[in-house]
Order: sequence, then C-alpha cells, then structure tokens
Amino acid sequence: MRITAPISAPAEVEPLVRAGARELYCGVVPPDWIQRFNTSGVNRRVFGNLNGYADLERVVDKATALDAEVFLVLNAQQYGEQHLDALTEIGARFRGIGGKAAIVADISLIASLAANVPDLDIHVSSVATCRNVESARFFAALGAKRIILPRDVTVAEIAAITQALPELDVEAFVLNDGCVFEEGACHTVHLPMNKGGPICIDNYQFEYQATGGDKPQARALRRLEQNDLDYKRWLWYRFGNGFSVAPNWFPWGPCGLCAMPAMHAAGVHSVKIAGREGASERKIKSVELVARVLERIAAGEAEHAVREFAVGLRDSPSHCASGYMCYYPEVRSRQATGDAEGKLLTAV
Amino acid sequence: MTSTEHTSTPDSATRPIELGFALVDERELAAFARHERVTRDDYLDQLGEARDCVTLPDDAEPTHFFLGSEFCEHLLPSVESIDRAVALCERWGLTFGLVTPIACDGLFDPLRAALARLPAGCEVTINDWGVARLVQREFPALRPVAGRLLGKMLKDPRLPSATWARMYPNGLRAGPFRDILDGLGIGRLELDFPPFGAADMYAGIDFPVGVRAPYGYIAKGRICKLGSLSLDTPEKFSPGHQCRRECLGFNEVGARPGTHELHTSQRGNTMYYRHAQGMATAVAEAVNNGWVSRIVLSGA
Repeated sequence: MRITAPISAPAEVEPLVRAGARELYCGVVPPDWIQRFNTSGVNRRVFGNLNGYADLERVVDKATALDAEVFLVLNAQQYGEQHLDALTEIGARFRGIGGKAAIVADISLIASLAANVPDLDIHVSSVATCRNVESARFFAALGAKRIILPRDVTVAEIAAITQALPELDVEAFVLNDGCVFEEGACHTVHLPMNKGGPICIDNYQFEYQATGGDKPQARALRRLEQNDLDYKRWLWYRFGNGFSVAPNWFPWGPCGLCAMPAMHAAGVHSVKIAGREGASERKIKSVELVARVLERIAAGEAEHAVREFAVGLRDSPSHCASGYMCYYPEVRSRQATGDAEGKLLTAV
Repeated sequence: MTSTEHTSTPDSATRPIELGFALVDERELAAFARHERVTRDDYLDQLGEARDCVTLPDDAEPTHFFLGSEFCEHLLPSVESIDRAVALCERWGLTFGLVTPIACDGLFDPLRAALARLPAGCEVTINDWGVARLVQREFPALRPVAGRLLGKMLKDPRLPSATWARMYPNGLRAGPFRDILDGLGIGRLELDFPPFGAADMYAGIDFPVGVRAPYGYIAKGRICKLGSLSLDTPEKFSPGHQCRRECLGFNEVGARPGTHELHTSQRGNTMYYRHAQGMATAVAEAVNNGWVSRIVLSGA
C-alpha cells in the first residue's frame, strides 16, 4: 500500500518522499489558461497549484530522481466543451515531461485523454463519485487505471470493488480535509470566507418544518435540536478539529489510520492524504503519521495492535473515541461492539 | 461505444410540452390513487405555495409520473409501491418512470428487483454510471434518462453575480459526453435550471431536455444529519447505516442573514433552492422555444 500526498511547490517533493510518500499529486494553472478562458478553474482548487509548467517539470524531475510518481489533477467536476482540447494538451505535455497519471472526474475529459494521450494513466477522481463495482467497470471501460474512491464509503464497500476488479488500482482517503457533501454532487464554489466560504459551513439560519409546513411538535423539536448539536460537533471534527494540530504537531481531522490494516487486507493500492492547499509542514507531518502506521502493517503486526498504535499516535484518544473524526467509523464501531464481521453495517 | 437514435431538442418545439410529477414518498401514492385521472392542477396542488414558482404553457397536461429518490439509497420504493404506481399510470394513460440514486453495491439487488417490475417502455431516471450499465445490460426494454446528478453544472445560489457562474461552464454539449450517453442507450437529459441561468442555456443540446421545477438541488451528501436522528451518538453521521426516513417527516427552511437570495431548504442529505419568478419565466421561454421539452414538477 502506497501513500499518495499533495504538493503545491517543488520544494515539498523531497521532504514528502523522504517522509514516506511514493506518489505525489499536484495541480498547475498554465500561464495562458486564465487569458484564454477567463478562469483559473483548471482543477477543483483555485489555490494550492504550482506556478506553471517550469515548476511542474521540476516536480517531476525531483520525484523521478527519488523513485516517486507524479499525478496531475485535472479534476473539476465539469468542463465546458471549449476546454477539452486545451486540457488534453496539458495532459500530453505532462506525459511528455515524465508525468505518470492525470486525476480526472469529467467523463468527457477521461474519454479525450484516453483517446489522445494513451500513455498517460487515468485516475478517476473522488469527484466522480465512483463507489460501486458497476460504476468502476464503467470507468475502466473508458480507460481508467485507478479509481480514487470518494469519502464516506465503508471498508466493506472498498473491498467489494477491489475483489471484483483486481486489475484496477483503488485509492482511498486516509487523512485530512473532509467534505460534508459528496464532492461530485456539490455544485457550489468555496467562496471567499467574507462571502460565506464553503456552503456546508456557511451561516444559513434554518428552521425545522414538519411536512405540510407546520412547526414540529415540542418533543420532536427537542430531539432535532439535540441532533443538531451532535452535528455541529461532527462538523468541528470534519473541519480538522477546528483546523488545529495535536500537541505533537500531527494534524487533526478526518482520519482512517486505524482502518489501514483492513484497507491493506482489502487490497487498496494507495491511501490518499488530502490538502493541496495546506502548509508544507502539515503535509509532511501527515505523511509521517501515515507512514508510521504503514511500517507496522508492513512488519506484519496484528491488526488490533496496529489499530491501538494508530489511536495512540496523536496522544489524545478521546478524539478517536468520539467516532466523529473517522473516515471509516465502522472499524471503531466493530471493535466497540464486537461485530467483527461488520454485520451491523447494512449499506441499504 | 455504439450510437443510438435520439431526438434532438429543437424537434420538440412543435409538440406539446411533456409534464411529469416526481414523488419521493411512496406513502403519498394513496392520495394520488383517489384520482380517476390526473390533471395539471392535481400536480401543481402537490407543490403547495411553491406552485406560484412554476409557469406552465396552457396546453401542458400530465404525460409522466415518477416515483423514487435521486438522492438517497434508503428511499428506493418497495416493489409493492412500484406495482401500484405502474397500475395508476396505466389507468391515467401516463408513462411511468422509476427514479434512482447514486448507488452503493448493496443497492443493486433491490434495484434489480425494482426494475424487473417495470413494463417495457417505462423510464428510469439514472444518476449513477453503474446503474446506467445495469439498465443497459439487464433491462434493455426500459428507457434510461440521465438524471440531474449526471448533468453537472454550477448551482450555487450564493454567487454574487452571473460572472461567477460563467467561470464554470457545463459540459453538456461536449462530444464525448454525447457519445457516452449514446453508448449507454440514454436518450434524454433531466436537468436543473441554475441560478443566473438564461432561457437559451439548453439550446443546441443533442438530447431532449427536461427541467425539474420549481426546486433545484445545490448539493447532496451521503452523510445525513436528519437520518442520524435515531442513531446512538457515536454512530451518527456515517455511511452504511439504516435510517427511519426522517427526511419524509421534516425539512429545514431558511436563508443567510442579510441576504435576498433564493429561498433555500434542506431535506435529509440534500440542499435545494427554489426558483424565483424570473427563473420560472426563463424556463417558460425555454419551453416556448423548444429548448426544453419536458417539465418535471417535484418538491424539495
């Protein structure tokens, strides 16, 4: 199992690879893109991109020298038809300098890259919301080499895909930056904070209505309001525990460390650390955190021992015990309930 | 991928608009069953006060009736409800359509059972590429429609201006998109009408276009706040749990303080905006010009 880490500057390559990342992903906004299309939206993030092709080449050169691979994000949820040729050219240029794969969500761009840049691997972005076997088959037929699963899947669902399609690489989230909505079904932009920021933490003032428009009965309202308080607490965890770090500088936030043994057993090819826009130190500490767990797995430690080790890494197990910081909370629940086979998990 | 025949939108200008109603809560079929036939007013009445946010052509009468959810795996109707809806549509002389969501693998067997109840010619609104493959391979007599989760576009009601919206164009006219839909046997698109949308925004698309009204969806999650209501605290807000369909009993309505943005609500895992009068007018203009050939009424 490999660690896939985000980068936004050439200087991050060496420390991230030294920390344990074997795969790096980055974005770039070519200098002529904004002029041509009047938008910086080459990928899903406006910020956290490399400055241009020269930086991209430096990243690929450095990574190649360290035996790491580089993937380029072209993962906007959708592109206009006027963008496709330019994006395909970017993909070809990236392949030409030694890039390994493009991370793509838009099906038209996947088809275009597969047809025109066949040597460039295609990784289906988490933004494509591919989270069942048939959908994975669909993307494989389009030319995908890897599926990056969206957040909020279970390990059992991951295993179903890896077992059905062993020829496909599967990548799953392991750390940082949790979306509230499914990325591929969230049709908003992260506005500047003074205009509201991400919609999932914007200042909407909602009131409950019972179906038909009436106010809910008092007892129901009390339960709903208590549920809202739990939800706010979950949101706090979802957004990096209030965007904080542990006393030992490891990052807080959505985490799948203790699920890594199960992911490894399921045949996951790579675990993804999110956060291209984050500070370099956060990225490096994130890779160190994941690498320490991976070392234990590689050494053949028992699953329960690896889980205990993972929970202890940040030296604050109460956050893990909350269940709200987990990408794969069923792993913690199975342990707590003795449901070793995950029978309590009924996806539907 | 092989090409299949589909009717382009402009041809529909000479035909009356198609009108559908999409019902999520299968329990409400009982109320529909009282009608010997359904009229546009029966459909509009289901919207409550939101009916004022819809402008229909004078000749628009029901042609379709849909059942199911685009947004949640837990809201797939039972086969009994599907049978009942199919029978109602036969009585009313309408085409029935089953609406399906993004699916986890656990949903595929229930989906197969549901799809097997549909007579040939029924529509299936598809929002997952894997489900599209399933329908194409195992249910070729059904007519798949690409749902609004597959027609990606920016729909953020908070955008300060139309300029922002233009920065992220949709890819509905891209050749590969058309070829892929053709290859899957999909012959129609169902879309939202977005904030800052123009009447002609769907002109020239190679598929007949239907628009959902008067609510568009902004974002949907797999995590459901309301669906966690009955779960123990540590189990809340995670995927793969049963729910008690609390979203059918409650929703949330509101706004951002100090703004005059579109009426916004959240039901279960999905946020919606409601069409303003200007948007309803633009949709009506799109219908008049043949750029939109179907309106599907639905609540939030």
